Amino acid sequence: MKMKKFINAQDSLTKELLEGFAAAHRDLVTLKPGNTVVNNKLSSANRVTIVTQGGAGHEPALSGFVGEGMLDVSVVGDIFAAPGPQACVDAIKLADRGRGVLYVVLNHAGDMLTGNLTMKQVAKEGLHVIKVVTQEDVANAPRENSDDRRGLVGAVPTYKIAGGAAAAGKSLEEVAAVAQRFADNMATLAVAVRGATHPSTGSMLADLNEDEMEVGMGQHGEGGGGRQPMKSADETAEIMLNALLADLSVKSGEKVMLILNGTGATTLMELFIVYRRCEQLLKAKNIEIAANHVGELLTVQEQAGFQMFLARMDDELLRYWNAPCNTPYMKKV
Amino acid sequence: MQVLIKNCGVLRMLLVKDSFSSMFRSVALLWQNNTARLGEIDSRFGDGDHGVTIGKMAALILSRLDEWRDESIRSFIENLGSGFMEIGGGSAGPLYGTLVGGFAEALSGETEVDAATLKAMFAAGRDALFDITKARVGDKTMMDALIPAVEAAQQAENDVLSVLRASASAADQGVRDTENMVSKFGRARSYGDKTLGTPDVGAVSTALLFEGLSQGA
Repeated sequence: MKMKKFINAQDSLTKELLEGFAAAHRDLVTLKPGNTVVNNKLSSANRVTIVTQGGAGHEPALSGFVGEGMLDVSVVGDIFAAPGPQACVDAIKLADRGRGVLYVVLNHAGDMLTGNLTMKQVAKEGLHVIKVVTQEDVANAPRENSDDRRGLVGAVPTYKIAGGAAAAGKSLEEVAAVAQRFADNMATLAVAVRGATHPSTGSMLADLNEDEMEVGMGQHGEGGGGRQPMKSADETAEIMLNALLADLSVKSGEKVMLILNGTGATTLMELFIVYRRCEQLLKAKNIEIAANHVGELLTVQEQAGFQMFLARMDDELLRYWNAPCNTPYMKKV
Repeated sequence: MQVLIKNCGVLRMLLVKDSFSSMFRSVALLWQNNTARLGEIDSRFGDGDHGVTIGKMAALILSRLDEWRDESIRSFIENLGSGFMEIGGGSAGPLYGTLVGGFAEALSGETEVDAATLKAMFAAGRDALFDITKARVGDKTMMDALIPAVEAAQQAENDVLSVLRASASAADQGVRDTENMVSKFGRARSYGDKTLGTPDVGAVSTALLFEGLSQGA
């Protein structure tokens, strides 16, 4: 099938999308050289600052969460490709306000590579940086091998929790410990019913038959092994939620955060129908949804499907999640 | 091109600036001639952009070679590594940047590189990658060409051409070995057993690097 996307030239996609994004949100962010998106209030920040990196094509992630209370700098690579380490080193230097920098990296091969090279360089330059890796895809490795788990939408609430802790004046070690505790207690499972096209090559990211869905789909169309006949919203919700509850061993009486993240072409209507069933199931198990989000945070072009995210919450994490933030795609008062 | 010197009555070859210039030019041309093949292999289990990225790196080599005047061998190779690092288009740039930048770490201001130093350069490139990736032989990555190439180089006679030929041939064998492996890293990993029968595209481009270095010397 021919790609139908409103683009101009394939090699200027990232540049043009970032220019448009920065123009649309010029009150909150500024685009700097090196495809770097910067919080407009960074220069007055007297706190730990937060930097992330990742490929383009997942809008509003990752740069849509740059702003007070979340990210200070986001370094953007090409479509679905990590940026180079020099741009990340420069971003960390730009972000550093003397209180240290938290550097959040999603677990994908290219991002990890850039992350490792960046950490080597900032250590050489004597900068105070702690890296936290988000890796929560339950589909592609058991919890014991969490190093093999892909980083999905969980990066976004991790930015929020870390941003809340930073705004509360915590030290870098404390902010990193809070972010890590949250990251260690989260799990995501994705489902796809229709693949997307890669906007710079036009190739299909995944190819699913009309009557199929795939549980465990990665966010670049990588297979997840869970191909099965298409199921109803309620059945799908139950399959996915049970997998996440089992992975996290959530027990009766505990509090959780539940996020349903549409990956690009699944309607809010569908997400709400799925959410409804999740809430019923959790209520029956006496598990409280203490925090939630339903909508598109991290997309995969026009891939139809969603990521279901679950995290075990405690009072401190909830306080940081509920703290104010003002970013283009997440606002809390 | 090499310089022949007589040392204790034995003819030994040394690599000089012109040798490295010719070696890297040969890498660039080999890479350029293979971009379509690399793109095709990569499209089976990857993004399909490896050929494009390798093509960009080849073009960078050629433009850097045109500008190479008074720089030392070390500094030329080091700067080439930094250039690869920022080439964009995914992991290939940082990986080759680390490898080639690592080669330079074994050099100081030499104007002539002997077999022992060449062996040390290859080992330093491998060690630089060991620092940033957990991939080793059997994981179906570029390391399956690189590690055997570096080991074969260490075992080779103390002669630069022997070192280069041994590494090129071991890297090539490494590529063929990847056809019998299941991907453990990167995007291809999620395809599991389906990756059997296809060589790893990073191993292919790494073997082309060693082949180019060998052909150009």
